[in-house]
Amino acid sequence: MNDDKLLEIKDLTVSIKQEKEMMPVVNGIDITIPDHSIIGLVGESGCGKSMTAKSINHILPSFAKITSGSMLWHEPSGQVCDLVTLKEKDIRKRCGTDVAMIFQEPMTSLNPLMCIGDQIKEVLMIHKLEKSQDRAKARVIEMLDAVEIPDPAVRYRAYPHELSGGMRQRAMIAMAMIANPKLLIADEPTTALDVTTQAQILDLIKKMCETHSMSALIITHNMGIVSTLCDYVYVMYLGTIMEEALTDELFRNPMHPYTRGLLSSIPRMGDNPEFLETLPGNIPVNKEKFRGCRFCLRCSDDIKKCFFEEAPLHKVSDDHYVRCHVAAGKED
Amino acid sequence: MEKEIILSASHLKKSFRTGKKGLHIGKKGSHTGDNNLVHAVDDVSLEVIKGETLALVGESGCGKSTLARLLMRMINSDEGSIYFEGKEISHLSERKMRPYRKKMQMVFQDPASSLDPRMKIRDIIAEPLIAWNVYDSKAKRDDRILELLNLVDLREDCLDRYPHQFSGGQRQRIGIARAIALNPDLLICDESVSALDVCVQAQILNLLKSLKQQMGLTCLFISHDLAVVSFIADRVVVMKNGRICEMAPASQIYSNPGHEYTKYLLSSVPRIKEYD
Ligand SMILES: Nc1ncnc2c1ncn2[C@@H]1O[C@H](COP(=O)(O)OP(=O)(O)O)[C@@H](O)[C@H]1O
Ligand SMILES: Nc1ncnc2c1ncn2[C@@H]1O[C@H](COP(=O)(O)OP(=O)(O)O)[C@@H](O)[C@H]1O
Ligand SMILES: [Mg+2]
Ligand SMILES: [Mg+2]
Repeated sequence: MNDDKLLEIKDLTVSIKQEKEMMPVVNGIDITIPDHSIIGLVGESGCGKSMTAKSINHILPSFAKITSGSMLWHEPSGQVCDLVTLKEKDIRKRCGTDVAMIFQEPMTSLNPLMCIGDQIKEVLMIHKLEKSQDRAKARVIEMLDAVEIPDPAVRYRAYPHELSGGMRQRAMIAMAMIANPKLLIADEPTTALDVTTQAQILDLIKKMCETHSMSALIITHNMGIVSTLCDYVYVMYLGTIMEEALTDELFRNPMHPYTRGLLSSIPRMGDNPEFLETLPGNIPVNKEKFRGCRFCLRCSDDIKKCFFEEAPLHKVSDDHYVRCHVAAGKED
Repeated sequence: MEKEIILSASHLKKSFRTGKKGLHIGKKGSHTGDNNLVHAVDDVSLEVIKGETLALVGESGCGKSTLARLLMRMINSDEGSIYFEGKEISHLSERKMRPYRKKMQMVFQDPASSLDPRMKIRDIIAEPLIAWNVYDSKAKRDDRILELLNLVDLREDCLDRYPHQFSGGQRQRIGIARAIALNPDLLICDESVSALDVCVQAQILNLLKSLKQQMGLTCLFISHDLAVVSFIADRVVVMKNGRICEMAPASQIYSNPGHEYTKYLLSSVPRIKEYD
């Protein structure tokens, strides 16, 4: 992986209003996204993946707020700027040109009343990346072609509802890519798609990262996607990073009991155990404040300490960290 | 041993008028000459063997749910016949169909929408037992309800709560308890684990497998997820555009697929690399 940093998320906490209290749903997480790399953020639904993603572009819902932390953006010039403290208008300027985002449901970012070509062209015009309407249109058609939409000149005029789910996702990727962002945040980009379309879209994202020397933060609950796409992975549970490692290292040597439980719960083609080894219970719903390890209630490795003291992130190697008293103890 | 066929279908067809016009770029569905006619199920014949788990796989819109609804006589076919334990049921009146309804039960994808939000869990599970008048006393019925709860690993204190007070996985357990209440011969699961997170999905898959062993259930398991199917199925039917393109034992589908489309589907699944 690359050592040059693009975005450093440090101690990010996102809280939501609950009655009168602010309740953290993302708890002081650190994520580093280097240049030219694909980073995965995995975890089960509700663990805080989307809140993390949305805080980068300041598109959190009104009931949620960043309550601490910084997000340091490293310019090629060497300048560093904190996205958390940026003014609204400066963030809008950066959206698209520095950081672009795609979602599970393309309709959340596509306008149903406008043909897709004009919508994508608008991004170029708003950011003043192109003065001539004709040249802008030509660039859009080129981009539609790059995301492998057939007959791009004709499809330019198509409205979102006239496209299949996969084609809509391609249109959204074209819109995200048109201003040449340095970072693509993809929040469950293929969850709603069929498996064959998913494979094509994942290929496309990978190709776009390579050809545009872009980094990506891939948010998913699918370990297969992580394995095929990502260089480095963060595993999240109830708003906290429990383990992080180079992808191969994480799959070869998962150390957190949660990561191990996740991995053994996944049915795999061609390997048929009588029963799947899974984690007992459910993700706790009523989020009382945790004093100790938030995975403790479902853990079979737990020791006394786990109940009252949250484990620090223990360094296993330069490319592997785990937040677990027991795993850290075994190491020493 | 002679294989006993519990349910079979021969040359089933069902099409729908969609009324949608215009260009639908890249959209699936087996449209033919008539633009508004979708052949959702197009000449399907299959047999479900007693005691097996038969999986129906294919991409969305290929006709899996329509086929399931045809087999259960929730909708009527345009052509073809359906046999339950050798007796044709395709044209039975609702009254004559009634005894068969008891033998075929369904578990849906979204337990939230298939459970009445105003009913307590106790009443949800009791409903089929009351409708079929299975027990002559309330005490016997209550015993059965407890037994069912136990089978799906729910605690007794669930009984007086409402569906919204449960997580997705627990609601799916409730849906399963209701579906097996009448000791059905055939359980149809339509994307029953598709909306669940991996850990809970694994719990429900384990539950279905152990129920099948305990009760000798036959299961028609519908899913778009090939990895899930590989865990649970004995035989697999691969569908595309309303037709069956391959039907084979699961081990064969995964190790030696015969049809190009099956190969394409399998190659599309993002896999976790193998490490030793
Ligand atoms: N619309 C909402 N209303 C109230 N709480 C919400 C809402 N959306 C998210 N949350 C809270 O934020 C947590 C994290 O949500 P999210 O980041 O969307 O999870 P993920 O993307 O990992 O599924 C949830 O567990 C929930 O408690
Ligand atoms: N009630 C209906 N009216 C019109 N079209 C329908 C109806 N039910 C299903 N279809 C169409 O039939 C095809 C098969 O649908 P379905 O059986 O739901 O597929 P699957 O369950 O495999 O996703 C699709 O093209 C769908 O749009
Ligand atoms: Mg999300
Ligand atoms: Mg369906």
